[in-house]
Amino acid sequence: METIEDVEKLEKIVGQLQAAHAEISILSKKTPADSLNSFKLKVINKVIKESNKVLGGKYKPFEEFDKFEEDDLPSNSDVTMVLAQYMKEAERYRSDNVTQVHGRWYYVVDGESSEIPSGMPSKVGRK
Amino acid sequence: MIRPRFTEFNNVHVPQHELDFAIPFLNEDIPLYIDPFLLWKSPSMQDKGLHQMIIAAFNNLGVLARGGRIDEAVEQLILASECDEVGLGNSATRKGKRIGNKCALDVLSLFERIPFYKDYGFRHFEEIQLFVEGIGKDRISDIACNFMKSFLIDYTHQECTNLGISMQGVTIPAVYNPDKKGFEAAKTTLPSHPETGAPLLLVPKRWLRHVPWLNYDSYFRNHCPQDDIAHEGEELTRVKVLTYNRDNYGVVDAYIQEKERTVADCEHDPLFTQIPILSARRKFAAIKKLPTGKTGNADIKYERAIGELLPSLFYPYLDFAQEQARTDDGVSIRDLIFYNSRTHEFLREIMNDYESRQITFEMKNVAKIGREHVDQLNRYLSDDLGKFGVFITRNPLKKAELTRTINLWSGQRKAVIVLTDQDLEQMVEVFDSKQRHPIDFLVRSYNQFRRACP
Repeated sequence: METIEDVEKLEKIVGQLQAAHAEISILSKKTPADSLNSFKLKVINKVIKESNKVLGGKYKPFEEFDKFEEDDLPSNSDVTMVLAQYMKEAERYRSDNVTQVHGRWYYVVDGESSEIPSGMPSKVGRK
Repeated sequence: MIRPRFTEFNNVHVPQHELDFAIPFLNEDIPLYIDPFLLWKSPSMQDKGLHQMIIAAFNNLGVLARGGRIDEAVEQLILASECDEVGLGNSATRKGKRIGNKCALDVLSLFERIPFYKDYGFRHFEEIQLFVEGIGKDRISDIACNFMKSFLIDYTHQECTNLGISMQGVTIPAVYNPDKKGFEAAKTTLPSHPETGAPLLLVPKRWLRHVPWLNYDSYFRNHCPQDDIAHEGEELTRVKVLTYNRDNYGVVDAYIQEKERTVADCEHDPLFTQIPILSARRKFAAIKKLPTGKTGNADIKYERAIGELLPSLFYPYLDFAQEQARTDDGVSIRDLIFYNSRTHEFLREIMNDYESRQITFEMKNVAKIGREHVDQLNRYLSDDLGKFGVFITRNPLKKAELTRTINLWSGQRKAVIVLTDQDLEQMVEVFDSKQRHPIDFLVRSYNQFRRACP
């Protein structure tokens, strides 16, 4: 990450992905084959579009997937599965960009440890 | 066209639920009847006024009969007993028969025989069903139509003008004239039947019921003192009940008063009712359990379940026309045919691109759609039905058959798409959740097909 804005952007999409995933996975457990209405799908697509920008080529989960097509009527379980992939990749991105200083974890900005605290990297991100 | 309707024939593509009148079929009757009770209970002054007019016209028959002009009364009643222009009832030909002299005399005798009618006349002329053999819901509906035919002419004229349907000069027989208290022919402009040239009248759907609110069966079941009419061991015939009623008007009167009290329960019957969500889920669950092929009549069960499910799923965008059986190469095929109302962007698109006035859904309970199935549907997609067809089947097309459908599009611009069990499952889900309309899955299938086309 090069700037503090990058960190803020990452934290924003992580929050949005978690919230969307939590909501849709509840629907998915109840009715996996049901479809999302246009409004919900547009919101999810906005989150995915922003995530694609932040994650960039290296961390984007699927090269050929940019967003859900409105006409394809994705089901709740389709959306849950894709959001889960994005969450994992966002976490991998974060894990690759944190460092430990005196036992605490901070984001790495422009190659140096910043003062922005973060959590311990997950297993996925650990090299 | 399969089962042509008045509106589609006149190039008006509006689904039934958006129209105030019941769309008549050109070659058969609508199995519903005008219930005069619905006019009586209507909050509209116009409807109430029409009911008053019908009752006045009917009671005038009694005045004529008692005034020594019985022949005139009989003639009027016979004329009023059939109304072919509205096309309501059970006839497969839009033609009915009038009542005979004897039946008319039986009805008119009520004005003499029953003191209440002699003194006050009828409040609801449907009561005649409870006294005279051979008078049923169809007669009640037709008599009501004939006595208010003048209104129906104006109504039809107005609706056709609004929709831009062409009309011709016609002579309508037996139009009741309240000034002269008699029937006369009237010249007017109305739509007519394209083949026979017979005039057509439209009826507001808010007046229609399958069975009139006052009817013999409900009287017999709940109000008729059956023990008084026939003793134990004796057969309780309809004639005995009718005779009993003539001598015991009080029982009929109590029935009428009871029905007037419970008027809040009297509603018109819709022309189409969607199946409940639970029922849709059960039908899909049954479909899912069915094996492919013909084992244990699985194909017939599959077709029946799909036939009950799809009209409800596609309502209100597609009006169901008919389930149709045909034979091709000795193989029996069942289709569901829908009218294309063009109320959805996709439906307009397939009308423009494939001239689909009606949409054919061919049901196939097979594990794999084969080459011969695609060919059968292809042969069926003619100019008349349009060049867009849908397979309802268990699994997606295999590559060879998909290529075949794509070739059909490339060579003849015919579109054959598929709805599978998986699509049906999602359609039933959204039918419940209302997050989408099930027709969106038809659009999805078409879009996927078009993406595969060159």
